[in-house]
Amino acid sequence: MTHYILESKHKSVTLGMIAVGVLCLILSFFMEPDTLTGVGADGHAINTHARFWTNLLHNSVFFTGIAFISFFVITASITAYAGWYVAFKRLWEAFGSFMIVGLVFMMIIAIAGFLHVHHLYHWGGNIEGDRILEGKAGFLNNYWYTFGTLIIVGVWYFFYRKMRSLSLAEDEHGNAGYEHHKTMRKWAAPFMIIAGFTSAALIWQWVMSIDGHWYSTMFAWYSTASWFVSAISLTILVMIWLKSKGYYQEVTDEHMHDLGKFLFAFSIFWTYLWFSQYMLIWYANNGEETIYFRERIDNYPILFYGNLVMNFALPFLILLRNDTKRKYGTLIFVSVLCLFGHWWDYFQMIKPGVVHTVHDYIGHGNHSDALNDMEGHIDEVGHGASEFISGFTLPGFLELGVFVGFLGLFLFFVLNTLSKAPLVPKNDPYLGESLHHHVGYGGGNEVHH
Amino acid sequence: MVHTEGKSKVLYGLYNDDEVLLKAISEANHRHLDIMDVFTPFPVHGLDPLLGLEESRLHQAGFVYGALGTLTAFLGMSWIFTRDWPIIFGGKPYWSVPAFIPITFELTVLFASIGMVVTFYTICGLRPGVVNENLDDRISDDKFCVAFDTTHASDAEVDELNDFFQATGVEEVNTKWI
Amino acid sequence: MSATVSPIREPLIRGSKTYHQITEDLCAPTERTPSAAWVIAFILAVGGLATYAFCLLWTVWNGIGTWDLNRTIGWGWDITNFVWWVGIGHAGTLISAILLIFRQKWRTGVNRAAEAMTIFAVVCAGQFPLIHMGRLWLAFFIFPYPNTRGPLWVNFNSPLLWDVFAISTYFTVSILFWYMGLVPDFATIRDRATGLRRRIYNFLSFGWTGSAKHWQRWEAMALILAGLATPLVLSVHTIVSFDFATSIIPGWHTTIFPPYFVAGAVFSGFAMVQTLMLMTRKILKLEEYITMAHIESMNKVILLTGSIVGVAYLTELFIAWYSGYIYEQFAFYNRVFGPYWWSYFGMMSCNVLSPQIFWSKKMRRSIYVTFVMSIFVNIGMWFERFVIIASTLARDYIPSSWSYYWPTWVEIGLFAGTLGLFFTLYLIFVRVAPVVAIAEVKSILKSSGDQYTPSTRETVGEEAVRKSNLDY
Repeated sequence: MTHYILESKHKSVTLGMIAVGVLCLILSFFMEPDTLTGVGADGHAINTHARFWTNLLHNSVFFTGIAFISFFVITASITAYAGWYVAFKRLWEAFGSFMIVGLVFMMIIAIAGFLHVHHLYHWGGNIEGDRILEGKAGFLNNYWYTFGTLIIVGVWYFFYRKMRSLSLAEDEHGNAGYEHHKTMRKWAAPFMIIAGFTSAALIWQWVMSIDGHWYSTMFAWYSTASWFVSAISLTILVMIWLKSKGYYQEVTDEHMHDLGKFLFAFSIFWTYLWFSQYMLIWYANNGEETIYFRERIDNYPILFYGNLVMNFALPFLILLRNDTKRKYGTLIFVSVLCLFGHWWDYFQMIKPGVVHTVHDYIGHGNHSDALNDMEGHIDEVGHGASEFISGFTLPGFLELGVFVGFLGLFLFFVLNTLSKAPLVPKNDPYLGESLHHHVGYGGGNEVHH
Repeated sequence: MVHTEGKSKVLYGLYNDDEVLLKAISEANHRHLDIMDVFTPFPVHGLDPLLGLEESRLHQAGFVYGALGTLTAFLGMSWIFTRDWPIIFGGKPYWSVPAFIPITFELTVLFASIGMVVTFYTICGLRPGVVNENLDDRISDDKFCVAFDTTHASDAEVDELNDFFQATGVEEVNTKWI
Repeated sequence: MSATVSPIREPLIRGSKTYHQITEDLCAPTERTPSAAWVIAFILAVGGLATYAFCLLWTVWNGIGTWDLNRTIGWGWDITNFVWWVGIGHAGTLISAILLIFRQKWRTGVNRAAEAMTIFAVVCAGQFPLIHMGRLWLAFFIFPYPNTRGPLWVNFNSPLLWDVFAISTYFTVSILFWYMGLVPDFATIRDRATGLRRRIYNFLSFGWTGSAKHWQRWEAMALILAGLATPLVLSVHTIVSFDFATSIIPGWHTTIFPPYFVAGAVFSGFAMVQTLMLMTRKILKLEEYITMAHIESMNKVILLTGSIVGVAYLTELFIAWYSGYIYEQFAFYNRVFGPYWWSYFGMMSCNVLSPQIFWSKKMRRSIYVTFVMSIFVNIGMWFERFVIIASTLARDYIPSSWSYYWPTWVEIGLFAGTLGLFFTLYLIFVRVAPVVAIAEVKSILKSSGDQYTPSTRETVGEEAVRKSNLDY
């Protein structure tokens, strides 16, 4: 089967997932935890619908990142003269198509920010008197947020469309001079540089600025690594599903083994970045930095330690053996674990900070003097410890439902894009290598026929 | 007079090319010939499955050595800083796990590497000063060698081997006590 | 044909070599009398080594006071040189290990020399922390061992001690890895030699026979060591960065340091590999094994890592502003516009701006441009460490202790001297061991030799090449 056909069954399953997601998203709009609501001076109830907005932000960021990284991997592979992945590069091309959907969601959040509809960001409200946030206002404002997102994701998507159309044109008009491939190389290398700068700028705005006072130079690379592992996990899962439906028979155990190696290597790389960031902050013991981890360890211990178990300990121990990278059952297990684990990682990056911002806004704790906000945060740690906030302390059913919904939406776009072109590209100069790919496991790199 | 005590009489053929070698070995398997060893100037891919070599278990040994390193480092530092001589550094707890990670990692790698390399040389019988007699000096250059042990072989069996060599495009056939 | 190779891949071995010619070409440098170029280079290198020995004795005899370090600037050229050399010592293992894991075949042309370079660079690096102790004869105090001073242990919580473990582990593992590869090649030299030379090379080759089972284990070992060396190489420069980043000094305490130091190390390491390979291939006539394809690939890595450190420099500047922390902001303002502005300028122009010319294929494939650029990057990366160390320390929290530092002739002599040490070791190495891995080059001949690769195979026309690719 050279073409994937979007069967109505696949369509209805993804649409079903989307329906679950929409339902949960709507419910989370109305099921705001009590501790995050308050009563204003005029007696009106204050409800920021933080559960709804954080769920929207969390999943938008997560899935946009997966789409972006998938495209980034293609450009990096082209630049590095890699050949092994070519047989299934259409899958990563399909993943990339979700970027535009992600942009739409991020724009909703950006516009809502302008209208002060949500209180996701510490800098989004009244920052008068808060000298730290005033100092950052040149970057942390709704204009940068909106136009930065629009321009950066727009540029990514522009490059993506360019590469995709070249890839499709290569199928049609590919020639012995491999002109299309050579043009792709010219587009791929600059994209890597652009991506390097811009992904960091976006992560700072989208995620790091939630904890508006806190900063870490590592943060952008750390969260990008998290996206990377998620993208590889999802690739493995979708690939195994497609193979079970009879597609992609060209993709063999050898390719899966290499994807497994990537999953293993980047899980370790993620851990390395996690440790470097955590250890340096722990060691220097500066209050304005440690607050970030203190908060998470004290009030969100399951989030904090679960993150390490799911994203380091288990994948490391399971994928250490070579044969586990070739057993589909194990691969599925680890991929599900890592995909969920890194979704969990973003959850713990986003949710605790928003709880503070909302508490600030509705006037819990001692926040009358914004200048003392740092101390206010510390106070909060004390009395917040006993609180369980559903949808924040741990992901609840609604969060899982929204995750399923976004996954459905992502798959819907991916499968739709996938059905529009042959699964295995034609005329790619590295296709032959990819189709004869061997990783050299179990003796013999190149078994002679 | 060649001193033959404790030695084997080896009949070996030299091939010029790795692909010819692989075909020859397939043929030897086909004829159910018992190959003593194959010597090549570089690792020839596809050779191991033909010779029926099992996958090396060195990595399992490496895992054990590595785990030993992990435990030595981590337990050692924990004992020293909580029991033997506890000191507070910069307000950190005695048992400051994050600070132990770097050395624990380094010793894991160190133990695993040294352990495996020593194991490798030992099981291969390689060490400085050892003299392993070579069948032919050109094996480390451009010849691919298939060797049979013919110490106890009958003339008919030797003929059969010679026949095999000739049929598979051998360059040279020799006998050597080794 | 066994291996399927993309029609647009460039060959990595030129000159339609046979296995035997590879043996001849790569063993030759160890078998012929040294050329005049080698002798002159060796004399110069030994001269440098003598300078080093003299300055070292001078320092030990007269004390660290012969340097210009002062109370404010306690680390100067010494630690700058240390970090610079350790950084250079990263490319070897990177080429051997990471490129092996990523199956980049071009590594085989340069891995041997790069690994040797790694070991020699680490030797040079290790000198500086030891000399900096002042009382060199007490250097063994850094190791945890049962001693006569009661149950007194080293401080396992100190990044400086982590360095001791990291660098000694790295040095050991690099030697093990390098020697693994040398064993079969020493056997090749042995089998071509007679008499005493044969006995020496037999000793060095551990009695290697080339048995199939040995090769199988050898390959398994190489892969596992590569798997271990990859995180190890990351950890070493990470730990070097911890020396700075665990502190609370603005400009040093920043979480991006670990990956940024690693990228910088790879960057400078590749630059040094380029410098060495361009000279080696010329002097030893190895142009057919260290081809333009190799040089171009390494230039791409230089461009990539140069851009990564560029991202890190700008990230630091941006976050310094973003932090809203005035000390952090001042530290970076001081880096760019302070008394050491010239070293920041040197760092930016050599490391970030100048490598950008490698966007042009023509530049990437020009020997002269590559050579000049490799020197530029070496200089730039030295500046980077100087910027981080000296310019940060020069402006203390208290303006009354602000200071300036300029090296004395002893410090300059020590640095120049380690270059002598490095080149002495390297020049001896090229005489006694094959600079290019013989067995590994043979193993890629049929996939990367120019008579086999579709892009240069004369007998096949364009259409046939295309067909061979599509015909699977």
